[in-house]
Amino acid sequence: MNPLLEQFLSEARDFLQGISEKLMELENAPGDAAMMNELFRLVHTLKGNSGLFDFPEMTRVLHAGEDLMDVVRNGRVAYSQLLADRLLDAMDFVGMLCDEVESDGVMGKTHGTDAARLGASLRELMQADDGQAPDQASGQAPGKPGAPDVATAVESKEPDPEASAQLPLAAIPETARMEAYRRARAGDPLHWLVYTPSEQCFYQGDDPFFLVRQTPELLWGGIEARDPWSPLAELDAYACLLDFSLLTAAPRAALEEHYRYVADQIRLIPVARLALVLPQGDTNGGPVYDDFLSDALELLRAGDLDGLARNAGTMLELSNPDLWIASALRWLRLVLETEPETEPESPAVLDALLESLRTFEPPAWDGVGAVAAEGSTQRDDVATLSAEEAEALEAVVATQRTILSQTDNPDWLPGRIQSVAAALSGCLRVCGDSAALPGLDAATGDALEANSGAALLAWLDARFPAMAPVLAEAGAEHPSVSPQLPTESAPAPSEAPPAAAQATPAPEGESGGVKFGRRAEDAIAGPKSLKVDQTKIDRLMNLIGEMVVAKNGLPYLAGRAEDVFGVRELSRDIKGHYAVINRIAEEMQDAIMQVRMMPVSFVFQRFPRLVRDISRKLGKDVHLVMEGEDTEADKNIIEALGDPLVHIVRNSLDHGFESPEVRAAAGKPVAGTLTLRATQESDRVVIEIKDDGKGIDPDVIKHKAYTKGLIDEATLERISDQEAVNLVFAAGLSTAETVSDLSGRGVGMDVVRSAVEKVNGAMTLTSVLGQGTQLRLSVPLSMAVTNVMIVVSDDQSFGVPMDTVVETVRVPQSAIRTIKRSLATVLRGRIVPLKSINTLLGIQAQHKANADDELAVLVVRLGDETLGLLVDDFRETVDIILKPMTGVLASLSAYSGSALMGDGSVLMVLNVKEIL
Amino acid sequence: MPIEFKGNHAMFLDIVTVEEAETLLEWLQKKPTAKVNLADCVHLHPANLQVLMAAKPVIKAWPKDAGLRSWLESALLE
Repeated sequence: MNPLLEQFLSEARDFLQGISEKLMELENAPGDAAMMNELFRLVHTLKGNSGLFDFPEMTRVLHAGEDLMDVVRNGRVAYSQLLADRLLDAMDFVGMLCDEVESDGVMGKTHGTDAARLGASLRELMQADDGQAPDQASGQAPGKPGAPDVATAVESKEPDPEASAQLPLAAIPETARMEAYRRARAGDPLHWLVYTPSEQCFYQGDDPFFLVRQTPELLWGGIEARDPWSPLAELDAYACLLDFSLLTAAPRAALEEHYRYVADQIRLIPVARLALVLPQGDTNGGPVYDDFLSDALELLRAGDLDGLARNAGTMLELSNPDLWIASALRWLRLVLETEPETEPESPAVLDALLESLRTFEPPAWDGVGAVAAEGSTQRDDVATLSAEEAEALEAVVATQRTILSQTDNPDWLPGRIQSVAAALSGCLRVCGDSAALPGLDAATGDALEANSGAALLAWLDARFPAMAPVLAEAGAEHPSVSPQLPTESAPAPSEAPPAAAQATPAPEGESGGVKFGRRAEDAIAGPKSLKVDQTKIDRLMNLIGEMVVAKNGLPYLAGRAEDVFGVRELSRDIKGHYAVINRIAEEMQDAIMQVRMMPVSFVFQRFPRLVRDISRKLGKDVHLVMEGEDTEADKNIIEALGDPLVHIVRNSLDHGFESPEVRAAAGKPVAGTLTLRATQESDRVVIEIKDDGKGIDPDVIKHKAYTKGLIDEATLERISDQEAVNLVFAAGLSTAETVSDLSGRGVGMDVVRSAVEKVNGAMTLTSVLGQGTQLRLSVPLSMAVTNVMIVVSDDQSFGVPMDTVVETVRVPQSAIRTIKRSLATVLRGRIVPLKSINTLLGIQAQHKANADDELAVLVVRLGDETLGLLVDDFRETVDIILKPMTGVLASLSAYSGSALMGDGSVLMVLNVKEIL
Repeated sequence: MPIEFKGNHAMFLDIVTVEEAETLLEWLQKKPTAKVNLADCVHLHPANLQVLMAAKPVIKAWPKDAGLRSWLESALLE
């Protein structure tokens, strides 16, 4: 998994958490505009982020959420409980996708419908709510807007003969339909797919035609214009006005995957096999076939299907293939070929085909469906009940019950019983329950014999105890029926008081069926990365610092054991143990440092955009090169570098690079190159910012500085070019002729320098006129550990930061001269001024020379100058954790801090710059 | 060039991309008696198809690719 995705996932979780929190809070304060804005922002950002990856499902749902939040934010739709529910559902879905991506690396391909459904349910709120009171909307929701969803979801799983019959299947050539029929007979699901691409899709680089041509298991496809074409002169070739429809034998899941980017633009309708059987052609030449028909019917009755096939074959040979009748015969033959003889629906199908041969009407499959359902395991052809039909059925049954319950005993009772029986048998046929017909017949017979409705009533009660259970029972006996029943009809309309349904708006999900398995009670899969407050890391850092100090006490202890108590063995053991602890402590320190390390790309990543924007604005052509973005340094350091670097880059773009014309005239490539390079040099990170612009003219700088009063006349004469260039770091100097919004206000480089120095960094600037400028920033990897050299003076130890130390030398007393009142000596041909640390710190003591009458001189760097510090002696260099001076000591600028030494003593670390 | 224009004949070759649609439309606007040969066409972007559907030129030859032909026939034969 790439780091970008990793980061996205970890952020997405935070966003999702934030979104649900905000949603909850909003429930208590629906009018809080600020919170609403925040919520919108979260959803918006998350959507934007998801767009970076190939997660169309996720983006689609989030997009719908974003749109919804937008209208809510603008007050066009009021916040409601239902809205929160749906949004939470959507976020659960997104969370589930994130989980999947995290565990499998990819997202499952089957979420297209869920995404489309969630998106639609969110968008629905946008429209449904327009101009309506929120409570009204939420009241309606479970009944009205929820139900169609469910109905489509359920109905579309199984082919519905009625829906299939309405499809323009006749447009498909017979051969293609026959092939489809064969495939369906072999068990492949048939789907009619209508794809209506958006008008703008060409602009998004889509090729809908290519997409449909690649449809798996494509059997036939057609293209239609959405509207009549406008005159050729006004035609817009790039507004997609085509509708694609096609017939495929691919499973639903495969289709959903194939069309997952456009899931909201397709409609999938399962096709019943029999709906394909549509004879076509010229209807001439009827009566000649009467003989064949009667023969065929006889053969069918007798069950001689082979004979029927033979007859049909002969007939087909004699017929003109363009005739309607020939087409019907071809279908007859196909049905005979593919239909297994044991299939109980065959006779009915064949019957219907023969009937249509006689009437020249397309075969009526409605009747076949009911018959076929009898004991059929095929799901394709079972009749379904719409909500209306179910209601009507219930009414009919209820009426029959009332009739049978009548206690009078009129003469026409047998007639009444027979009429009831006829009505009930009709009902049974309609709901596809022909298996119950013999039972009904038997009950009718009993009732007629006893001349009382009781027997039939008993049967009726057993068969239709109440309407709702009836359907459930029918479903149990014929599993094919119940899934097709729209869920609306499951609770009988008369039994479920509509008021109750409206009073307690059931959460959408309950009827929606699909849940995304992420609710509060779920165990939360632990994310791999932790977000930790920086103060906690700082505390760890401090603790490890103390640990290092405590550990450093062990060698002293060992020394005491040997020297004071005279136990060498123990001393050696302690030393051995010290080595172990030392190793662990060092590793630990390293590990904690690692936690705080960040790559410089954290600051670098903003530059491509920055450079692009600014160079555009300035009309310059600049090419940015970045190197070593993965160089790491402490978080504080990296963060502290951000602003100075931005400033430097801006300066470089504004002052450094010439305009393309000037560059061309100077014989340079038109496009300038700005190089940002980060490298690690031992314990420091070096960042170079290099441009190939016009460089800095030292003379200009000198004169600017002089006119601004930053240097006096003497300096102006004396100053070297390099020193002059460095004047750009002086406060108040600007080289730009005019003040722009980018730079030229004179608050530039000095601020940059102080920001860098704050993190113990150093800057050097070199520039060659006409060739470019190079800035070198060097910052420590980490500020936590400071390397100091210990020096001794008057028996006191002081620390001097190693980065200021140039060298340590011993100078003979005789080589020290007094010039005016200051001391100086000559080191390798250079005069080095000397200062006594005792004088600087106010210690009343003379420096001690060693046996050779030499004085210890610590040469330190101060800016560009070097200077010698007279001390008594040098000791080792140590890594210390520098603690800044606090409280009353904070005002002592001579010390930059203190550190605890291994033997328990306190080392004062000098701030060399301050004391000199 | 995926479409070769010769007189009032247009030959569609290989894959005709979305960029051709504009040219095709302009050409068809000028040539009311245009004839189109699709024989060597393997795929064409629907933008081109729309133009053909709207302009209704004479189709001299259908694509050799049976799948494409069946699709195009459904759109262009009416």
